[in-house]
Amino acid sequence: MKNPPSLDSLIAALKVLPGVGPKSAQRMAFHLLQRDKAGAERLARALDKALSNLTHCERCNTFSETPVCNLCADASRRQDLLCVVEMPADLLMLEQAHCHDGLYFVLMGRISPLDGVGPRDVALEKLFHRALDGVVEEVIVATNFTAEGEATAHVVTELLKNRGLKLTRIARGMPVGGELEYVDPGTLAQAMFERRKL
Amino acid sequence: MQPGKVDHQPAYVLHSQPWRETSLLVEVLTRDHGRLTLVARSARRPQSALRGLLLPFAPLTIAWFGKGELRTLHAADWQGGVPQLSGMALICGFYLNELAMRLSARDDANPALFAAHDAAVRALAREPAYGAVLRRYEWALLTALGFAPPLDADDAQRPIDPAARYHVVPDASPHRLESGPADAGVGGATLIAMAAGDYADPAVRHEARGFLRACLDHHLGGRPLATRELLQAISALPE
Ligand SMILES: [Zn+2]
Repeated sequence: MKNPPSLDSLIAALKVLPGVGPKSAQRMAFHLLQRDKAGAERLARALDKALSNLTHCERCNTFSETPVCNLCADASRRQDLLCVVEMPADLLMLEQAHCHDGLYFVLMGRISPLDGVGPRDVALEKLFHRALDGVVEEVIVATNFTAEGEATAHVVTELLKNRGLKLTRIARGMPVGGELEYVDPGTLAQAMFERRKL
Repeated sequence: MQPGKVDHQPAYVLHSQPWRETSLLVEVLTRDHGRLTLVARSARRPQSALRGLLLPFAPLTIAWFGKGELRTLHAADWQGGVPQLSGMALICGFYLNELAMRLSARDDANPALFAAHDAAVRALAREPAYGAVLRRYEWALLTALGFAPPLDADDAQRPIDPAARYHVVPDASPHRLESGPADAGVGGATLIAMAAGDYADPAVRHEARGFLRACLDHHLGGRPLATRELLQAISALPE
């Protein structure tokens, strides 16, 4: 017994999602077609709309429906501060933390040599032109504190050093409100290595 | 006792990747069990105790159980003493990990390789002489895997002469060059220094680099190293 071709192609299409193998793709397809046809139609329309409407903001490279996103178009934000993050989710998190009133640049990835992701696979060239627009004075590197995020931070630093920009890296250490007794040893050890002078 | 249970095993994470919804597939290099892949269940949950532990370049002791291809990480303990690598030291660290992943065989116990890896990671965290650290590691890795050409004598069983030049190939004894240009092949002094792990002399480092690269490429089977390409991309950034 074989599946009809359109079912097979739906299952194959669902396998593009990360972490979805043939089994889960089949389960998803059956669910959409059998249990939630309205949801399936919403999904199809939303995907179609996102694909035709979304582009990358000219300035910060995040997803946007306009050439320049709302955040980059906001003249009340500091134009001399540029915060570099890996993904749009990181930008949203920084916005929620109300800690940065400048602008952003979203690399849309991180360098991970052992996964075959190199400097050409993140938006370094776009960052180069954005950071050197003559208005930006400080670039804050806010990539993750994973080995890959740190490697990305190194490449960003190498790219932008000696160009009259102030380059900074967000700090790592003890969590706010953190008690030594409950923090994980890696965090605690690094906080000790990176202790600051009082 | 669970099947295949191993406890308190010194290890380094070489690489990890997301697996299923919340887990990680972790490639580790262990002292007594070689390189293997472990599933770290729920390690990507925000409250997971493994999150801050399963980092590359951090000395750990780990425990696992299970048989066959996929074994399950049971516990990981922080051993400490090495600050997180950053900058160029970190890129060099990725290079060590890529070499270990590409050249070592799975489940092949190799305490000498583990010792070389441990020494190199600690050295990268400590000293800025990355070139010497990498050359020492490359040679130790080739030696531990049985890939290093013998450097104690030439192919006619004569001791290596520091003043002579040698033709060296990845899997044979050096052949003494009786004539030819003064920079042909590799100098005897370099071969002697390499056998002793002494890379203090920049001329030795330079000559050893080319020779080691040829040896590594011979065993890498033509597929380029991603970390070598990354290093080249960094040095080619616009000035
Ligand atoms: Zn924008």
